[in-house]
Amino acid sequence: MIRVLASHGVAFRQVSKRFGSVQALRPLDLDVLPGEFLTLLGPSGSGKTTLLNIAAGFLDPDGGRFLIGDRDVTALPPRSRNIGMVFQNYALFPHMDVFENVAYGLRVRGVSASDLRQRVEAALAMVRLDELGGRGIHQLSGGQQQRVALARAMVIEPDLLLMDEPLGALDRQLRKHVQLEIRRLHVEEPRTTIYVTHDQEEALVMSDRVAIMRDGRIEQIATPAALYENPANAYVATFLGESNLLPVQVLGTEGEQTAFSLEGYDGIHHLPRAGTDVPPGPALLLARPETIRVAELDAPGIGAMVEETVYLGELTATRIRLARGQQIWMRAMNAPPRAVGSEIRIKWDPVKARLLASEPTE
Amino acid sequence: MTGQTQSRAVVAQVAGAVVLAFLVMPIFAVVPASLNDASFIKIPPETYSTRWYTQFFDDATWVSALLNSIKVALLATGFSVVLGTSAALGIERLPGTLRSLAVGLVLAPLIVPVIMISISLYYVTRSFGLYGTTIGLALSHSLLCLPFVVLNVGVSLKRLDLNLVRAAEGLGAGPWRVFRTITLPAIFPGLAGGGAFAFVTSFDEVVISIFIAGYGAKTLPVKLWEQIRVEFTPVAAVGSTVILGLTVIVFILARWSAAASNRPASGRDT
Repeated sequence: MIRVLASHGVAFRQVSKRFGSVQALRPLDLDVLPGEFLTLLGPSGSGKTTLLNIAAGFLDPDGGRFLIGDRDVTALPPRSRNIGMVFQNYALFPHMDVFENVAYGLRVRGVSASDLRQRVEAALAMVRLDELGGRGIHQLSGGQQQRVALARAMVIEPDLLLMDEPLGALDRQLRKHVQLEIRRLHVEEPRTTIYVTHDQEEALVMSDRVAIMRDGRIEQIATPAALYENPANAYVATFLGESNLLPVQVLGTEGEQTAFSLEGYDGIHHLPRAGTDVPPGPALLLARPETIRVAELDAPGIGAMVEETVYLGELTATRIRLARGQQIWMRAMNAPPRAVGSEIRIKWDPVKARLLASEPTE
Repeated sequence: MTGQTQSRAVVAQVAGAVVLAFLVMPIFAVVPASLNDASFIKIPPETYSTRWYTQFFDDATWVSALLNSIKVALLATGFSVVLGTSAALGIERLPGTLRSLAVGLVLAPLIVPVIMISISLYYVTRSFGLYGTTIGLALSHSLLCLPFVVLNVGVSLKRLDLNLVRAAEGLGAGPWRVFRTITLPAIFPGLAGGGAFAFVTSFDEVVISIFIAGYGAKTLPVKLWEQIRVEFTPVAAVGSTVILGLTVIVFILARWSAAASNRPASGRDT
């Protein structure tokens, strides 16, 4: 049975922050629903950690308010917010054993000894460290330390759980394992969570919704699938997943179809209008590598040349050169090998391709 | 090529050892001198005896000087540890320029000639009725002890992971609880080291003590100084050996307790 532990959502209202001459956060609104796992995804310097620290109370915003439920906690110190926080370096107390680390928040709250023991043991069982209560922190592996940090943050039944790149210090294999572990814990007992990362895979695997951040702004906030399939702009498209972006000229919309032309090619192409709201003029065609296919030589498509093929096990990636030297990648299962330099015709899946407003390159 | 650099290194090490021996040996020479049976200083002694130790510990003026020294040093250590730790915590939070100014102020007693400090303290203690009192002397010594505590605790504080403090705050701990359960264990090695320096600094301090100890708070170094002005007897060598011994013991204790408290933290560095 699923029980939502936190009945509170949280909300940022016009929150802004400046460090010297750097505008770390532009006035920003963000709502996290009760029991939702929301990931802030962005490169370093995009403001995601600043936002997290404002939620935790370690930083004061220059303007705006932060609400837990309908309680304005902007002016409250961290200790009065009932927030669980997991740090990138875990920040476990080195002079206490595993049990005492997890018990810290309960001792602060004056929980009685028997209740405390029971709750700490339940928390350790939850992260599958039942046997290790008496261990010193330095006797644990990185993954185990990470789970102690998780147990310590969760045992206090926080209204909000904050995680600041908690998997950054783990090796790749362990990271995948802990991702699924965190996801399992969240699905079993959903609690309102804000998770910060720059790793797109982490964001896709764990989140209910993802907010893509850039330069102190939220570029787009949506479910992982919606972000991948309907990115709001080229930045989101390139940040999440592999993408081919081809410069095109949008000619206009006729009925349900938007027409555009591709540089270097005659002819007019069409996409269903859904999801493409781009005015006539220069734009970008987004076609993910897995939506590009080789067309029969006499079927509709555009002429291109194979430049490189890369064998990836279950997939084969092919680098293709278009008429004007544009390069795109195609990825397909069971693709017959093609000689470098051979001429082919390619097409894209019109249902999955998108037109995006072109923006100045960074 | 390598042979040449090697032999140069050996020469440098031997030279270093000789200089060190030249500087350190006289300090340890007081130990055999104090064990000489004869009533004059001769190294090495012809016959050994502990009779000067008996005389030292039977003489009320020596014993009270020793006890005074310990009392003053403990008080001065207490004052400077509390004040120095508070200062180090405050300094850590100051912005750049203000911080260097504050550090400079705290370190000033190490740079200003002690004789000037002594004269100033002479006037100050007289006008506050602290002249010749144990408290007055301990407070005065604290001035010299403070820099060691601030520096040592400051180094420990720099190594303290700010996220540990944040984690404790996030779990609901107030400032005093955070200090007691997180900061204090983390800075304990610095505190022990600074405290040991503070104790030793006060314990063998002469100049300030001569000025303001008066008769009421005469310490062992002052008594030694007075004794040696008259005659360097083996009893004076006993007094010096006692200072030396206590100094060594205090440092060993500090190192030991710092290492004991630091063990789990250092294991995590790997």
